[in-house]
Amino acid sequence: MKITRRLLGKAALGLAGATMLMQFPALAADKPAPFDKPGVKIALVRYLSTGDFFQAYLSGVEAQSKALGVDLRVLDSRQDAALQADMVDQAIALGVQGIIIQHGLTESMKEAAQRAVDAGIKVVAFDVNVENPKIPQIEQSDRDLARLALEQAVKDNGESWKAGYVYVAGIAPLDRRNETWVDVKKKHAGIDEVAMFGTLDNPIANSVANQARSVLSAHPDIKVMFAPYDEFAKGVKIAVDEAGMNKDIKIYSADISTSDIAAMREPDSAWAATAATNPAVVGQVSVRALAQMLAGEDPGHNVIVPPTLITQKDLIDKDIKNMEDLSAKLPQFAHADVAMPAWMPNPNAK
Amino acid sequence: MGNDAVFRVGGLRKSFGHIEVLGGVSLELHAGEVTVLMGANGAGKSTLVKIISGVYERGGGGMSLVGHEFAPNTPAEAIRAGVVTVHQNINDGVVADLDVATNLTLDRLSGSSAPFLFNPGRVRREARAVADRMGLVIDLKARISDLSLADRQMVAIARAMAHQPKVLILDEPTSSLSSAEADRLFALLDRLREQGVAILYISHRMSDIRRLADRIVSMRDGVISGVFDRKPLDYEGAVNAMLGRKIHLDRIVARNSVKPVLTVDGLRIAPGARPISLTLGDGEVVAITGLVGVGKTALAETLFGVRKPLAGTMTMNGRPYAPETAGEAIAAGVFLVAKDRATSGIVGDFNIERNVSLPFLKRTSRLGVLRRRIERATARRQIQELGIVCRSEKDEMSALSGGNQQKVMVARWMSQAARLFILDEPFQGVDISARRDIAAKLRASANGRATLLFVTELDEALETADRILVMSEQTIVGEHRNGDVDMDRLLAEVAGGSLHGAA
Amino acid sequence: MTLRDYAIRYGFILLLFGLIAYFAIAADGFVSPQSAVFIFQSVAITGVLALGVTATLVVGGFDLSIGSVATSAMMAAAYVMVVLEQNAVVAVVACLLIGAVVGLINGWLIVYMRVPDLLATLGMMFLLVGLQRIPTEGRSIATGMTMPDGSVANGKFSDAFLALGRHRFDFFIPNLIPVSVVVLLVLAALIWFFLEYTRFGRMMYAVGSNERAAELAGAPVKAYKIWAYIISGVFASIGGILLAARLGRGDIASGNNLLLDAVAAALIGYAVLGAAKPNAFGTAVGALFVGILLQGLTMMNAPYYTQDFVKGVVLVVALVFTFALSGRDRR
Repeated sequence: MKITRRLLGKAALGLAGATMLMQFPALAADKPAPFDKPGVKIALVRYLSTGDFFQAYLSGVEAQSKALGVDLRVLDSRQDAALQADMVDQAIALGVQGIIIQHGLTESMKEAAQRAVDAGIKVVAFDVNVENPKIPQIEQSDRDLARLALEQAVKDNGESWKAGYVYVAGIAPLDRRNETWVDVKKKHAGIDEVAMFGTLDNPIANSVANQARSVLSAHPDIKVMFAPYDEFAKGVKIAVDEAGMNKDIKIYSADISTSDIAAMREPDSAWAATAATNPAVVGQVSVRALAQMLAGEDPGHNVIVPPTLITQKDLIDKDIKNMEDLSAKLPQFAHADVAMPAWMPNPNAK
Repeated sequence: MGNDAVFRVGGLRKSFGHIEVLGGVSLELHAGEVTVLMGANGAGKSTLVKIISGVYERGGGGMSLVGHEFAPNTPAEAIRAGVVTVHQNINDGVVADLDVATNLTLDRLSGSSAPFLFNPGRVRREARAVADRMGLVIDLKARISDLSLADRQMVAIARAMAHQPKVLILDEPTSSLSSAEADRLFALLDRLREQGVAILYISHRMSDIRRLADRIVSMRDGVISGVFDRKPLDYEGAVNAMLGRKIHLDRIVARNSVKPVLTVDGLRIAPGARPISLTLGDGEVVAITGLVGVGKTALAETLFGVRKPLAGTMTMNGRPYAPETAGEAIAAGVFLVAKDRATSGIVGDFNIERNVSLPFLKRTSRLGVLRRRIERATARRQIQELGIVCRSEKDEMSALSGGNQQKVMVARWMSQAARLFILDEPFQGVDISARRDIAAKLRASANGRATLLFVTELDEALETADRILVMSEQTIVGEHRNGDVDMDRLLAEVAGGSLHGAA
Repeated sequence: MTLRDYAIRYGFILLLFGLIAYFAIAADGFVSPQSAVFIFQSVAITGVLALGVTATLVVGGFDLSIGSVATSAMMAAAYVMVVLEQNAVVAVVACLLIGAVVGLINGWLIVYMRVPDLLATLGMMFLLVGLQRIPTEGRSIATGMTMPDGSVANGKFSDAFLALGRHRFDFFIPNLIPVSVVVLLVLAALIWFFLEYTRFGRMMYAVGSNERAAELAGAPVKAYKIWAYIISGVFASIGGILLAARLGRGDIASGNNLLLDAVAAALIGYAVLGAAKPNAFGTAVGALFVGILLQGLTMMNAPYYTQDFVKGVVLVVALVFTFALSGRDRR
C-alpha cells in the first residue's frame, strides 16, 4: 500500500477535524459505551517483542489501556508466525472485544484477522498489512522518517556530498526508508553514494562498525553517512570514532533511544540528527484507534503517527538526557493528536 | 571334497600411499574345505579380506566366484554374490542399538527385494529361524549393547550365515570367545563344511587351526609364503612360513621371590564371590589365567584403583594400599597396561612419543611446562628397548602394526620404574614374534617390581610366568609353579571343576 | 613429503596470502598498517571466543553458549556500571565471574549430569538469552535509562572501562593498536602455549582423543573437562567485556552471530598447517582469515549476503582440507 502526500493530507485534515471537537479537557468527558462501564477486554497479539522499541510500544499500549480502564491481554508469539495466528483464535476464544495485531506476516495473519472480524471483534493492525478494508492500519511513516532526516542532512551539508549508506534489503521499514533515499538522490544530483553496506548480524552495532571501518578506509572522502536505523547509526558512529573522523563526517539516522541520545550528545559526536516516532505514542494510538471502533467511530483506514526530527542541537540546548526528558521537553514527541476524540483520556496528561 | 576351486584370487595388489600392502596374492578356496590363513600382524591378511568383502578397491589382479568374475564395489554386493565376511571387530558386524532379531535379519532390510514396510512380527519369525538353524540360544529381544562380547560375536556370525553363503570368511572369530563358545562355533563350521561352503578362516590360534584346518595358507609381507594341504598338515612349516624364521620354544626357568611387594587379603570383587588372597613378590612374573568373564579384568582394575573392592585390604611394601583413582595407583607405582589397547590405551591423535609419555607428564615437565627433550629421549630409549619397528618416535600410531602398537603400550608403562606392573591380555591381537619380544622384555626387566599378567591363553602364561594362578567365578582357585605344572589339575581348575573340591 | 603433503600443510596459508595479494590489488587502501590493525580489531571479539571454544573442542566437547555468555557479560558490565554505579574493576570482575560460573555449570551438566555437550550448552544458551533480559525487563542498558520501577539509572560507563574498547597503544605509528587487539594476541599466545607446551594442555588433547585411555593414564578426566568449559566461559566473558567497551552500552542480543563466527574460525583452524585437530594457532589464523575476507569484500562494496556466502565457502573448503585431503578418517 502506498502512502501519497495527498493521503497524508487527508489524514491530517481528518485529524484536525477530530481535534477541533475535543478542545474540552478529555478527563471530564463521559466515555461512550462500552467504556462507560469497566470490563472491556482487548488483546494485543504480538509478533516481535524483544528490544527497546517493542518494550516502549507495549508500555504505550498499557498506559492507554489503563487510562481507558480496559482489561488488556498480551499474547506474544515471539516471532512464530503460525503461533501468532493461533493466538488470534485464542483471543477470540477469550471473548475479547478488540484485538491489536502488532507486526507479523501478511500470509499468516490475513485469514486469522478475517476470522476475528467475522466473530464481530474489532481489529486494528500495526505495521502489518492484513489486506482487510475493515481493519485500520496503524503506521509510523517510514518515508517521513527518512525524509525528515535527509532534509536536515541537505540543510546541514548543502546539496553536494559523498555519502555512505547503510541498508539491508528485504526488511519492510528499511525498504520504505530506502524508497525515500532513492527519491532524494534523484532530486539532488550532487549526492554521490560511494558505498552501500549493512548487516543484521547481532550485536548489529558491532557488526556494522566492522563494516563501516572497512568502508571508511576504502572511501576516506565520505562526508555523510545515512544510517536509517539507530542500530546502524551506532555502529557507524563507533567506526567513525575509531577512525578518528568524527569531525569530518555527519551521521543521519532514524529512531531514537536513551543510549542514542547519549551517543548524540557526546562532545564532537558525528551523529547529527535522527528522525523518530515515539513507539509509546504508537502504542497509545493503536489502543485509541481500537477504542474508537469499539465506540462506533471510524478512525480511518490509515492511522499515521507523525515522526519528529531530533537534532544534536535540540538535545544539547534543551539538556535532554533520556527518553523521559525527550518526551517532557519536546512535546511533539510525547504526544500525537491522532485518534484523539474528545472523550478519549490522554495517558500523558498529568 | 571338490577339487575345483569355488573362489579364486589371482595376483591381487594393493598399496596405501607408497606402502605396498599386497604384492600379488593368489589364493584358491574349495567347496567343503576350511582354508586357514595364517600371517603375522601386518602381513596383509586384513587388507586381503577387506578387498574380497568389497570394503577396499583392489589395486590390481582379479577374483572369480564359481567361474564368474567377482568384483564387488561395496560390501553389500559381495554379500549378494555369496561371499560373506565376519570381521574381526565385532562391533562392525552388529548394530549395537538394535535388538538381536533385527540384527539377524538386517541385511534383508536393504536390497532391492526388501519389502517397504518394517514388519516386526515377520522379522522375529525369520530371526527365530536363523537362530534355530545355528543352534543359537539367545533372547531375540535383547539389545546388542546389553550382550557380552562373545554373544555379540555369535550374533554376527549367525547373521552372516543367514545369507547361506558360498564363501564364508571369518577374521579371527575366536579372539574373544571362551572355549565352550568356540566349540559351538567349530561345530557350526563343521556343519557348514558338510554343506559344501568354502571357508576362509583367519587365526593365530594353533588350537583352532589344529581343530579346523583342511589346508593352511601362510602369508608374509603381502605375499603368500606357503601352502600346506598334504595330510597330515605341517603346522610347524606353516608357522615358519608365516614368521620366516624358526621359533624355539624356550622353557621358562621359574624363579622364586622372597620379598613380597603386594599382599592382598580377603579381597572380594563381586557380590557372592569368595575372597581373594595373594602375594606378589619382587622380581617374579605371575600370570593369572582363566576363561573370559571370570573376573580377571575386574581384579586388574581393582588393583589399579578404577574399581572399588567390596571387601578386603591390600598392602604394598608394608603400607596399606587403597587407591581411589588410577592417578593414585600410578603415584604408588602401580601401572596397568589395560586390555583392548584401541579403546583403553592408544590415544589416536598422538604419535608414539606422546603416547609413551602420557601417564608421566608430571615427571616430564617443570612447573607444568613440558620438557620435550626429555620426552623425546625417553621415547627413543623405549623404542630401542622394546624393538618397536617404526621410522621415528614421531610416527602416528595408526602407521604401526598391532604388535608394534602393543609394544608402545608396554613401552609407555615401562618408561618409569614400577612397583607392581599389571598387564591385562597384553598379547591380544599381537603376532607371535612381538609376543615373544614383549614376554622376554618383561622377564628381563622383572627385578625391582612385581609383574602380574592376566591372560586367557594358557600358552601365554606358560611361556611367560614364574607362577600361574587360575581364576574362576571371580576368585582364585589354583596356583602352580611354572616348571612342574600339573596340566590336568590346571585345566580342571580353569574349567571350574576344582572349585568345589578345594572348598 | 609429497606434493599432496605440502598442499595439506601449507595450502591454507598459501590461500591466505593469495587472498591478501588479491585484495591488495583490487581494493585501494587495503595494504596499510591501519588496515592491518583494523582487521585484527574486527576479529578480536570473535577471535577471543573462538580461542575459548577451541579449549572445549580439544577435550572432545563443544560450547554453544559462548555467544550468549559474551552478550550476558556485556549486559552485566553495563548493569554493574550504569545501574549499580560501580567502577570498571568491579564490572570486569563481575563479567569474569559470570563466565567462570557458566562454564562450571556447563561442565557440571556435561560431566556429572551426563547431558550431551551440545544439548547442555544449547540449554545454557537459551537460559542466558532469557536471563540477561530479566534485570531490565528486556531493555538495553545505557546511561539515563529508565528502570522498570520508574527510577532513572544515572551511573555511566567508566572511562577506564571504555578505554578497553577505545584506547590505542603506540606501535611505530602513534595510536595504532587498540586494546582489544592486544588482548586477542595475548590470549592467543597464552592458550597456544597452554595447549601445546604444558602437561595440562597435552592431557586435554588426550582426553579429547581417547577419554578412557586418558583416565587409565591417571588423568582426572572430569576435572579436565570442567576446566575446558570454564576456560571457554571465561574467554567468552572477556569477549563480552570487549564488546561492552566498544559499544559503550548493554545491548540485548543473543550473540548467535558471535557464536557462529567463532565456531567457524575454530573449525577453519583445523585446516591450518594440516593439524586436523583443534589448535590455538589455527583458530587465530582462521579468525584472521575471515576478518581479511570480510574487510576486503566490504571495501569492494560486496553486499552482506555475499559475505555470509563466502564465509560458508571458506569453512567448507577448510573442512575438506581437514577431512578429505589429510585422510584422517580413512579406514
